[in-house]
Amino acid sequence: MRSGGASVQFFGKTCSKPFSKNLLFPWALISIAVSAAICCVSRPVAADGDAALRETSQRLAERVAGIPGLHGTLRLEWHPDATWSEGESERWIEKIRDEFERRALDLTGEAGAPVLDVFAAETPTQVVLTAKTRVSDRDEVRIIAIARALLPPAASPAAPIRLERQMIYESPNRILDAASVENADMGGLVLLLYRNYELVALRVDARGVVKQSVSLNPVNWKPSRDPRGEIRMRGTVVSVELPGKSCEFSWESPADLKCRAEKSLWRAETLLTSPCDRSDWKLFSSGSEPNAKDVLQVVPDGTLRESSAAVLSEFPGPILSSNGEQDPSSALVVARNLRTGNYEIYEITLACGN
Amino acid sequence: MRFTKLRWLAAISAAVVALAAFAAQAATPHYGGTLHVKLRASSVSLDPREWAPGSLSAAAGEKLASLVYDRLVTLDDHAKFQSALATEWSHDAAGRNWQFKLRSGVRFSDGSLLTPADAVVSMQISLGKGFEVTSVENGVAIRAAHPVPDLLEQLASGRNFVFRPKPDGTLLGTGPFFVAESVAAAPAEANPTAIKPAKIKFQANEGAWSGRPFVDFVEVTLGEPPLRQLLDLQVGKADIAEIAPDLVRKGRQEGLRIWNSSPQTLVALRFDEALAAPASDQLREALWLALDRDTMANVLLQREAQPADSLLPQWLSGYAFLFESPMNLQRARELRAAFPAGVPGAAQPLRLRVDAPGDLFKLMGERVAVNARQANLAVQVMLPGSANNSPALAAGLHLFAWRYDSLSPRAELEAFVKQLLGGADLPANMTDPEQLFAQERRLLEERRILPLVLLPEYAGVRANVHNWNASPWGDWRLADVWLDSEDPMTTKAPTGPQKNSSTARNPGARP
Repeated sequence: MRSGGASVQFFGKTCSKPFSKNLLFPWALISIAVSAAICCVSRPVAADGDAALRETSQRLAERVAGIPGLHGTLRLEWHPDATWSEGESERWIEKIRDEFERRALDLTGEAGAPVLDVFAAETPTQVVLTAKTRVSDRDEVRIIAIARALLPPAASPAAPIRLERQMIYESPNRILDAASVENADMGGLVLLLYRNYELVALRVDARGVVKQSVSLNPVNWKPSRDPRGEIRMRGTVVSVELPGKSCEFSWESPADLKCRAEKSLWRAETLLTSPCDRSDWKLFSSGSEPNAKDVLQVVPDGTLRESSAAVLSEFPGPILSSNGEQDPSSALVVARNLRTGNYEIYEITLACGN
Repeated sequence: MRFTKLRWLAAISAAVVALAAFAAQAATPHYGGTLHVKLRASSVSLDPREWAPGSLSAAAGEKLASLVYDRLVTLDDHAKFQSALATEWSHDAAGRNWQFKLRSGVRFSDGSLLTPADAVVSMQISLGKGFEVTSVENGVAIRAAHPVPDLLEQLASGRNFVFRPKPDGTLLGTGPFFVAESVAAAPAEANPTAIKPAKIKFQANEGAWSGRPFVDFVEVTLGEPPLRQLLDLQVGKADIAEIAPDLVRKGRQEGLRIWNSSPQTLVALRFDEALAAPASDQLREALWLALDRDTMANVLLQREAQPADSLLPQWLSGYAFLFESPMNLQRARELRAAFPAGVPGAAQPLRLRVDAPGDLFKLMGERVAVNARQANLAVQVMLPGSANNSPALAAGLHLFAWRYDSLSPRAELEAFVKQLLGGADLPANMTDPEQLFAQERRLLEERRILPLVLLPEYAGVRANVHNWNASPWGDWRLADVWLDSEDPMTTKAPTGPQKNSSTARNPGARP
């Protein structure tokens, strides 16, 4: 039996099974943590996705190589989907070319050689690859398809940034907030997720492997279309700030979730301290719409937005939160990648000079 | 003097505060308000059991039904299936046996709990013959007569909603809204010759499992004339309105924010079965060669449509670009000259009945007649409501509109063939795109269906509508839309899960 939301479909479902209330018992939490540690690693899609891409290219090459009467050198003409980036297009054509050559299809760049057109098109759920060529007096067409969810997320074009920026984690689940783990023994991140209409806290090690997962469903908490929350960690105690509610638990005894109704104490604006002259810089994001790319602006504290001194960094989607509480010169920024739909965590660091 | 300065200062301060508040509201989701929507359909059924496959009215019904009912799964814009009423699913290797675990604690809008039996009843109705739906512990099992690897695509689209029929025949849903009021079209009191359009008012479902929608109400007005809808958008009487393709350019010129979907509607010609005989092969081929699709799309529809060469659109099949319909008047005339006696289009005209409603389709019918005449083919257009359009008169040709409603190309082609050509189920291996392409090519080569143009869906969206994130295949997702508050000076604290405002622009500030 294949599990649909699991290996067949996409990574997120494997780790997004809903936790019913009875799973708050410690034994269940332990089993969840173990299974999460096994199945949830950061960016696992890419590993499987590369294999899927290669396997798809192999299938196309096999079908083309099997066309009766197809021989001699061919000029490969590549027609990628119009929405693909150059990087995505190149990734595909490299694999396709490799697989064609592996099957002794002789490819050339000569203008006079017979043409083998290869088209790629995205549908709502698939990438459809079509090879078309003319053999004798007939057109030969071979078509194969692959579920898009099985493919690696598209690479984002590198943004011209003057900040040091590194993506350190991504997930198909909605990440509300992230914080670094200060404890040297543990390292890594703690995340607050809105997964399958539930709040979940995750502890992720420095390699991106999920070490522990805790379902948070405070009394009177309701699913929301605009879920918000912040997560902090002090030692092994995790505090979660929700609208009108504060909760605390420890990773050692996660079943002891304690929540109290109180006015939320949200994080103050994020300030970074320059390692060069100790000056403070303030973070702004420009977008207000959730469907637009966002630009992170870092401006000297005390100046207005869009000041000429601003350092800009474009993100592949809206910026959802930033947290600079734990390190004076760096912050964690959560953004949604509009191309892949994944939520991504970036570590941004203010660096001197260029 | 001093007093006046103080008053000025106070006024400026108030204005700054108001502007700041307004800016914050623009950036932060706001709960409340009524979303005014105008649709072109004059009547709509919210009962998926009544929707005819491919019909334009079913499309309007589906759009509104998604406010009231949920599906087992949904598809996001990144090709990922997301859990909705089903939280998990699995299937066997062949894709014949599927199991779906239902989300626990989901309630219908009357407060009653959703049970597996509800899902069984509605899924059995929507999936129809060839599927056996049974309840299992905490969920439903679906067993198909043949492999259905595209079952998720089917369940995430079309009429596959979960509902519970009430004794009075109406349906209950678990969606983000429920129907609060429905008023049928009626003569206006002041002027009985004028018709007041039908209205449906949807109210937010506070207990929706997926979270309360942002707006309190969605008020839908049906069947107002297209120009009136455009005007209503401009003057603020509508927040979202469908726009007829021939008015899109005007809307753009007037600065409206206009959204369009992928091509959702195929406009095509269908030969009557009586004309499918071999003797009329030449007639069908000649008309196919005479059609000027580029002019229809680029002139008649002002580049707001695409010439259609296939039954399925490129965005759904991925291979539609392989089909071509080259216009060749010379060849069409040669075929016409060789017509055997008695074939319509020669001595007696071929009657073309325009089945789709609206001025646009009338114009297209007339354009088909013009193209036919250029190839010496006689075509008589029978427009809806005209004297020559008696049902007693047989038509050899029909101009129809087909609205795509499935995310599965195989299911869509199957519905198309069944509905329009009286065909049977497609073979099970049709999920292989090469097989599907071969089947579509065979259908097109029969020339019983001649595609004309593909129309996207257009909607005008006012600037006060935020988080407009409609899917490319036409799901408006209105539950996620929020509105600016009408007056920032008098914004009341909303009830329900109002979010803290003011700093969504600032990622470091409170969320």
